[in-house]
Amino acid sequence: MQNEVDLTPEAAVRAVMRDILGLSAEQVSEFTADTELFGALPELDSMAVAGLLTELEDRLDIVIDDDEVDGELFETFGNLVAFAEMKVTE
Amino acid sequence: MTPAPAFGTYEFAGRKELCLCPSTPLAHRVMLVPPLFDEMNRMRRMLVGVLEALEGLSVGGFLPDLPGTNESQVALDRVTLSDWQDAMAACARQHGISHIASFRGGVLTVSGLNAANHWIFTPAKGAAILRTMLRTKVAADRESGLNTSIADLTIRAGKAPLELAGNIIGSELFAQLDAADIPTFESQNVVRLESDNKPSDRQITGSALWLRAEPDDDPAMSLAIGRDIAEWVKQ
Repeated sequence: MQNEVDLTPEAAVRAVMRDILGLSAEQVSEFTADTELFGALPELDSMAVAGLLTELEDRLDIVIDDDEVDGELFETFGNLVAFAEMKVTE
Repeated sequence: MTPAPAFGTYEFAGRKELCLCPSTPLAHRVMLVPPLFDEMNRMRRMLVGVLEALEGLSVGGFLPDLPGTNESQVALDRVTLSDWQDAMAACARQHGISHIASFRGGVLTVSGLNAANHWIFTPAKGAAILRTMLRTKVAADRESGLNTSIADLTIRAGKAPLELAGNIIGSELFAQLDAADIPTFESQNVVRLESDNKPSDRQITGSALWLRAEPDDDPAMSLAIGRDIAEWVKQ
């Protein structure tokens, strides 16, 4: 079996966004900190957000509590990456 | 052109449940165990595509319904994980199955079938599947002005059936899933997408259809999975 490859939080967020939105690696590589997410991407509905959080937990080995999740978190790609980076250092 | 799968059945608890079968009898046989809940719907077309690809490679693919889902006559709120496990064992027995390919949470329903050979696609533990559904419920409740939490809902699920993303889940199914870890088997191959960083025996190019907002199809992925399973079954 191949060993697990450690991902940086940013790489994990990009990979999950790619899987959830069905984008190519190139399209997701164009996301910047200012790229708008919730509201700007119709595929990112509340069910997709629920899946995104569980995937991030799984891929980064973190636990995300209900009260850490608010609208601001999904405003931009940068917000989500900053949150993931904060969680892995907890 | 590859023939479409035939509508077959298997018997469980005195009822017939739907099981898509090969259109002609084939010596090599594999049972595909679908993902759970919404993930099943989102991957259904892709899985039927795998059945078609397998038949084109002279491998008979069987795709049973889990009781309480899809065409099943049983109400989901009365179904437990033990029922699903007994049902998949019954289907495997009735169709002479020695090879099982399970997708996502489907692996939790075949965890007792250690004598079979297992091909496991992106396995998911029960608690993670429930967590996504609980989050969806919390978000929907917030939109309607209710302030629920995953912890509250988990307590409620222990007392009475709980509706999560359109599925009415009984207390026993909830508790059993919550405790269900990914099994390991004597003979197993873990297969993942190329974009997945978790350990695997093999990787496949495709899309994480189970994470999408809507059901979608991926014919190239169906073919790649069909080829991989056919090679594995014929070893």
